[in-house]
Amino acid sequence: MTKKLYHKVGRRPWEYKLKPDGSLARNRLRLPLTSRHWLKWRDEYNPKTLKRERRLDDKKPLWWSIGLLAFVLTVPFLSNSLISVAAIFCIYASINVLWTLIIGTAGIFSLATLAVVGVSGYLAAASNVYLGLPWPFMLLVGPLVGFLAGSILAAPSTRLDGLYYALLTMGVAEICRIYVSQLRSLTQTSGAITQVDSFIPEDWFLQRPGLLLGFAGAFSLLLGSLLLWRLINSERLGLLLRTAKTGREDEAFAEAVGIDFRRARLMVFVLSSSALGLVGAFYAMYFKSISPTIFSLDQLLLLFAMMVIGGLGRAEGATVGAAIVTIIDKGLIELGPLRIILVAVIMLVVTIFAREGLTGARDQFRDFRKRKSGERRAQRTEKGGEAMPEEAIEVQDKQELFYRRFNKRLRERLKSLITPALIAEHKADPLGHHSDNLARVLNYFRRGEMADKYVIMRLKDGEERYRIMAVSGVRGLSPRVVDDREYDDLNDAYHAVFILRVNDLMES
Amino acid sequence: MDLGLIVYALNLASIYALMALGISILWSSVGMINMAHGATFAASGYAAWIVTGALKPIIIAAFGKTTLATIIIASTLIGSAILAGALCGIIIYLLAFLPIHDKPNYPVRSLIITLALNIGAVQALLWYFGPRNRGLPKIFGFGRWEIWETKIRYDQAGVIIGASVVIIATLAWLRFSRRGLEVRAMMQNYEGAAYCGISRQSTALPVLMLTGALAGMAAALLSQTIFVSPTAGVIPLLKGLAIALLGGLGSVGGAVVGAILIGFIEAIVGAIPFLGQRYVYFAGFSFIILVLIFRPRGIGGLLDATRE
Repeated sequence: MTKKLYHKVGRRPWEYKLKPDGSLARNRLRLPLTSRHWLKWRDEYNPKTLKRERRLDDKKPLWWSIGLLAFVLTVPFLSNSLISVAAIFCIYASINVLWTLIIGTAGIFSLATLAVVGVSGYLAAASNVYLGLPWPFMLLVGPLVGFLAGSILAAPSTRLDGLYYALLTMGVAEICRIYVSQLRSLTQTSGAITQVDSFIPEDWFLQRPGLLLGFAGAFSLLLGSLLLWRLINSERLGLLLRTAKTGREDEAFAEAVGIDFRRARLMVFVLSSSALGLVGAFYAMYFKSISPTIFSLDQLLLLFAMMVIGGLGRAEGATVGAAIVTIIDKGLIELGPLRIILVAVIMLVVTIFAREGLTGARDQFRDFRKRKSGERRAQRTEKGGEAMPEEAIEVQDKQELFYRRFNKRLRERLKSLITPALIAEHKADPLGHHSDNLARVLNYFRRGEMADKYVIMRLKDGEERYRIMAVSGVRGLSPRVVDDREYDDLNDAYHAVFILRVNDLMES
Repeated sequence: MDLGLIVYALNLASIYALMALGISILWSSVGMINMAHGATFAASGYAAWIVTGALKPIIIAAFGKTTLATIIIASTLIGSAILAGALCGIIIYLLAFLPIHDKPNYPVRSLIITLALNIGAVQALLWYFGPRNRGLPKIFGFGRWEIWETKIRYDQAGVIIGASVVIIATLAWLRFSRRGLEVRAMMQNYEGAAYCGISRQSTALPVLMLTGALAGMAAALLSQTIFVSPTAGVIPLLKGLAIALLGGLGSVGGAVVGAILIGFIEAIVGAIPFLGQRYVYFAGFSFIILVLIFRPRGIGGLLDATRE
């Protein structure tokens, strides 16, 4: 006898599951000072194996830690130019994460992100160069300026929406660029402030230790902005904003349940603007200078391309997109203008095919697969008396399911047997010796359920007048008359019943 | 204010109106913010440069240096620019409208695709033609009229007249033709239009070609005043977008009024001695921001709540 072949059934056959020892107590690590856990483990009972299993519900923190750890461990072994590319990636990624906070979480389509970075970078650099403030204070000036700029920019966002606000912020960025590049005191450096003091010592600048130090600073900046993202999104503010996330109806709903979503949006905007101010101060320190290109549209579009490629509104999208675009833009400099075309092509292809960028591709694929399998299932189960899979779960007696399936198949077979010749045969001799096919059909009819079974009633004893009725199938409930026709011959009545049943069969 | 200033302002306004009209019509009927409008502008400028560069010696050889030759050169220049603009419109239709118009998140995605097209096209032009400026033949000739002691350059007059003709023709097309009726129906309510049997897919193609042609026309006219370069489209795009928003997206009249307003403001600011050309952008954007704060949907736009 050959061994039976079993196929794997279910969606995630390869998901890793721990098998904890049921007799041991579990310790869960908590984040210090909070009641949160590091990883979201879930315990469940597997009814097939009758065992306890432990499964990781949200694997994102794990991937984040693995990715960031691998990144930070690889960088010290890279060449000098690649280290600076990595540092620039960190700066861009942190700007993008904060921008995602504004666009995705707060839902304000602001294009003044780089303007906030630039303004606070400029003011921090100016306070260092012209006022002689030591560099640690730049890290205070930056967020302060960012806070002020954010407060000013946030004010019209409640009145304007969508594209109008985007245009307004783009105008602000343009005004900043023109203003800075036309400042008389900066004309000899074409608008740039140079010689900014930095956390990187003077003689380490552009040397390997200096680059590593710069990278360490940029990386901690990225970690900080990711932390801010996490804090805002997982706490009360994020919850309030998710209620009013999409569309006018959601906003109306949020308002109706007493959520002041506008205030929440402004708070997120101002918070991330302050953080962007810090990034601006860091930017000025890292490059030891700041120039008007930070306000330029090209730079803005490059950052926007990063977010779009990764996936708008997701922190991982902002980071992945920043990695891809920075590698192309800074790592492949020998390609010339071709690399921007490459970025544009990637952006185009990703946007045409992916709903929410590269990081949303997985969810999109799952939706696609779900839809396809639903379509296939719908094709498989034209109903015809058979139980649909959803229904089958509910039915306790599985015998019933198989009976229904058998019945359906039988009907299909019998339908193919019914021909004019068969009906003519029955008409000629309803009770005689029948052919095999007719005998099969009649056997099926005889076995039918009591409810709605057709019977012949003699109208008056001794008279040859018949009518056809249908039995109710319920004790005490009298049968119903099917139609008014009377038959003078019993054989005609038999045949009429046969025709009715054939009709019912063909319609089923 | 003297007449020369008014002519200069109208000159600016007509170019801006051509750009803003295209963006505004496209947004209200197809629901797409076309960021590739600038690339269309630059590409049609280059197409006109190539075509007229190739045909000019042939035409001059055939007709000599007569008025007829000038007219033929002018029509090839404008015709090639418009044709190239319409072709760009078809490309945008194929890439940014057709694949995603029934998919989720369409407005943002089409904006991103057209943005990518813009970046890619500008860089491709820069890569292929280099950053040098190209001069197109002056179809209106050199010289000026003297009217009421003001000098009006031929190219300024040509730009104003040409743009006005095109704008009026576009508005007439929208008002009187069958297609125009369909486009206006889509502007009002595209679902309602679909119920009336107006296909979004087949109406979007002529709209995109028309707006592309408008950008091409703007490029041909502006090439009389400034040079053609790969990045020439950026400023007209930004201005067109800003003016379309100032006028209220979807309001054709608002776009024209906005263009005239901005044209005059820029001309006046440019003429004030202590402000000068440096503050032209500054003034324009500040004015737009000011208007948007008081009328959040622009001059001719209605709030969605009011519209409903």
